[in-house]
Amino acid sequence: MLSPERLALPDYEYLAQRHVLTYMEDAVCQLLENREDISQYGIARFFTEYFNSVCQGTHILFREFSFVQATPHNRVSFLRAFWRCFRTVGKNGDLLTMKEYHCLLQLLCPDFPLELTQKAARIVLMDDAMDCLMSFSDFLFAFQIQFYYSEFLDSVAAIYEDLLSGKNPNTVIVPTSSSGQHRQRPALGEAGMLEGVEASLFYQCLENLCDRHKYSCPPPALVKEALSNVQRLTFYGFLMALSKHHGINQALGALPDKGDLMHDPAMDEELERLVVRSKLHRTSRQHRAKEPGAFGFQRREKQEALERVSSASVPMPYHYRWEPRE
Amino acid sequence: MIPGKYRSVSGRAANNVNCGLHLVIQTSSLPEKNKVEFKLNKDTSSFPGRLLQHDLERNYSSRQGDHINLVSSSLSSFPILQRSSEEKILYSDRLSLERQKLTVCPIINGEDHLRLLNFQHNFITRIQNISNLQKLISLDLYDNQIEEISGLSTLRCLRVLLLGKNRIKKISNLENLKSLDVLDLHGNQITKIENINHLCELRVLNLARNFLSHVDNLNGLDSLTELNLRHNQITFVRDVDNLPCLQHLFLSFNNISSFDSVSCLADSSSLSDITFDGNPIAQESWYKHTVLQNMMQLRQLDMKRITEEERRMASVLAKKEEEKKRESHKQSLLKEKRRLTINNVARQWDLQQQRVANIATNEDRKDSDSPQDPCQIDGSTLSAFPEETGPLDSGLNNALQGLSVIDTYLVEVDGDTLSLYGSGALESLDRNWSVQTAGMITTVSFTFIEFDEIVQVLPKLKIKFPNSLHLKFKETNLVMLQQFNALAQLRRIDQLTIDPQGNPVVNFTLWKYYVLFRLSHFSMQKINGTEVTQNDMIMAERLFGILAHVASSELPQYRLISILGDARKKQFQYLLESKGKKPGIINEENNDSKRLVGENTNRATLNYTTRDFYNEKLEEIKEKKKFCKTYIEDLVKEATEINMKNEALQKLWPQMFIELVRDAVIEIRNKNSYMKLCLQQITDQK
Repeated sequence: MLSPERLALPDYEYLAQRHVLTYMEDAVCQLLENREDISQYGIARFFTEYFNSVCQGTHILFREFSFVQATPHNRVSFLRAFWRCFRTVGKNGDLLTMKEYHCLLQLLCPDFPLELTQKAARIVLMDDAMDCLMSFSDFLFAFQIQFYYSEFLDSVAAIYEDLLSGKNPNTVIVPTSSSGQHRQRPALGEAGMLEGVEASLFYQCLENLCDRHKYSCPPPALVKEALSNVQRLTFYGFLMALSKHHGINQALGALPDKGDLMHDPAMDEELERLVVRSKLHRTSRQHRAKEPGAFGFQRREKQEALERVSSASVPMPYHYRWEPRE
Repeated sequence: MIPGKYRSVSGRAANNVNCGLHLVIQTSSLPEKNKVEFKLNKDTSSFPGRLLQHDLERNYSSRQGDHINLVSSSLSSFPILQRSSEEKILYSDRLSLERQKLTVCPIINGEDHLRLLNFQHNFITRIQNISNLQKLISLDLYDNQIEEISGLSTLRCLRVLLLGKNRIKKISNLENLKSLDVLDLHGNQITKIENINHLCELRVLNLARNFLSHVDNLNGLDSLTELNLRHNQITFVRDVDNLPCLQHLFLSFNNISSFDSVSCLADSSSLSDITFDGNPIAQESWYKHTVLQNMMQLRQLDMKRITEEERRMASVLAKKEEEKKRESHKQSLLKEKRRLTINNVARQWDLQQQRVANIATNEDRKDSDSPQDPCQIDGSTLSAFPEETGPLDSGLNNALQGLSVIDTYLVEVDGDTLSLYGSGALESLDRNWSVQTAGMITTVSFTFIEFDEIVQVLPKLKIKFPNSLHLKFKETNLVMLQQFNALAQLRRIDQLTIDPQGNPVVNFTLWKYYVLFRLSHFSMQKINGTEVTQNDMIMAERLFGILAHVASSELPQYRLISILGDARKKQFQYLLESKGKKPGIINEENNDSKRLVGENTNRATLNYTTRDFYNEKLEEIKEKKKFCKTYIEDLVKEATEINMKNEALQKLWPQMFIELVRDAVIEIRNKNSYMKLCLQQITDQK
């Protein structure tokens, strides 16, 4: 516990690196907002539940985008939640448009910005017709890269553009979030003759960026691996390569491998139970007259919630634990 | 007896009554102003007439020709007629040249006092050589080949002119025949009524079987009592009201199709007998009573007497027609107003959408080169609401001039459907609806209203229209699946119709399944007209079941409560805001909502807050966040200080400990002085 590296860091830095303060602030904020309800069963219990949910990755459900984006752990949890909730859509084989995926995202995060989804779609579609349909797995992996590394990608975009236009790649560029991608479009048009940039040069710049960057970035070794086979590459080609790279996916730890994407036996079991219950529910509803329950709403709901709490404590296969990452 | 042609003419009419004309001439020596009577009679005529009839019969028999000699003259091409003197004395005033195979009119010498001349059934092509017969009263040229009326200018006494069954194309050259009483031009090729306006003594005019297409130019015929226009192509009739004596008008077998085309008949007070059979108008359902109603003076229609019963029926039916017309006029006015209002609402909606779109695009392209014109209305993006430009009758136009204010919204109740157009219409839900009306409404339709605005009034809808089972949305800007979450708060929905126009959400592949999933507790029967099958429900559950599971079971308790509490609080708020609510009812409603909201708990956390509310909430939270931040910072500061102190203490403690021990040992070294010190301390303490 008292490892030397930990003690070496000054206090604030340590806390910041672990984003402890973010969670503390959020916890207190939530407490303030729901004062009346929480005071019913005690503050200690609230904090327990809160940090438990942080551990389990359910704290980001239905939260505002600023919170979802706040820490890498949040982002990973969100990706996981999205995967778990809508895996069935993918399993069903439906191809959806970017707008529809955005809708699904908004079901979990009401103010999720459209630009991020658009950028993710661009990776899949290679900046082509934006109304095309995309498969669930393609979109999900591209979205993962775009969402988790969004700041990193903005810097990469700026670098790429500089390389294209022949500027000195070693100057530090810290672009604003919108301008990077925005300038991208005209540049691609010019790259008609020369397809993208040279891979090795590009990689050097990336390495420098990774060293300097305070945002999370993919492990350089894996990036090198992704770039190893190609001489030249375009920006979206690069992103596509990143999204398809298994190693990076595993390094993130949010989603299972592509092959296992549709598998989640525990959830499938749960789903079957739900389906059966809904079938019975429907037929019984058709038979009996519509009558409200004798008990008030809260009681019933509480019962269910209590049931669920016990099942939630069972460890699940892809359970993500809150651990320090490189 | 009766001249054959009259019998045959009238006989063609589809009736049993024989109304032939009976020619009676009184030969009692009267001056020129001979009263020539024409009587319609079925019975035999008066005594003197019968004698004459005999005469006429004999006169007009085919044996007539035996008494006539036609000598062709070498001087001219015309044959010259000569009669024996006994003939001349016996039949001094009449001459019959019937069926003489004449091709021209012969010259008739020495018969200048002739009064009746008969040229029937010949082949005469021109009327000639009769100018000298200036005492002629009756000229009969029936069944010849005359192409033009001419050669009559000297016959100033003529009373009867029979030119039926010829080839006359034009009525002309009758200027001097001011005494004409009967003019028979049936069976010719006349296309126009003209040049008869001076015939003020004319009583019978027969223009049957011609080519007339309309009737006018009848002024001046002040004595006309009978006008026969059967078997023409007449489409409209005019000027009949200028005939002060007209009693009988025969219009059978023409082309009259509406009463308007013969409207002048209504103004003719003398008309008592009229026929319309064989016209298109006679086939109409409203024919009889319209005619009877408009022509109260009629005594006979289509040769049948009009009974009192019929007249009464006619007026009753006519009144009903009037009512219906007024009703339909009102209806079309209303419809027009409705159409205008809806168009207005549509236009406003489009403007609004355009503005929103322009704002969005302007934000996206802050540094674009071509700035958008915010007021530009692109015709192609206007909603395709059909502009019904049907022809408005003048009455409607006049009424619409009064519609100076066109509403910006429209509320209409049509049986069981309540339709709302435009966001202003939502306020109408606050009105005092009668229980009966409100109870009948099963369908509510929203058009040109933002869905977010509709969401806010859904609680009101639930209360005021408890039987609304079918909701329809068109042009309501449904763009996200989330928005359907808002519908869960209603009592019950059996059918949902989301019109693709103006609702982009319909383009999503999964929207129906999401609706079925989220609103599963309604057990909906139809979506957009198609039945919901068991398979659909199962599919919906399969697709989104896990979402529900996650949303309910994996949320921590406090979040569940807070989310649900929010939703309920909002509904309660709407209830409180509604006008005229008694407190007792509010409680009831609250309980009601409590019970029903819990229908399907595991998806109850999937709510929809409109964008505005959401942003409001986030704004509110900002303050709290700031406070939390500073609070935590203070805590952290404290904690780090304590930590620092702790660490510092950890570092310094060994040294401090040693010093403590050393100080203690030094103190105790000298036992005596230490004992003294201790005692001193104890006394000091007291």
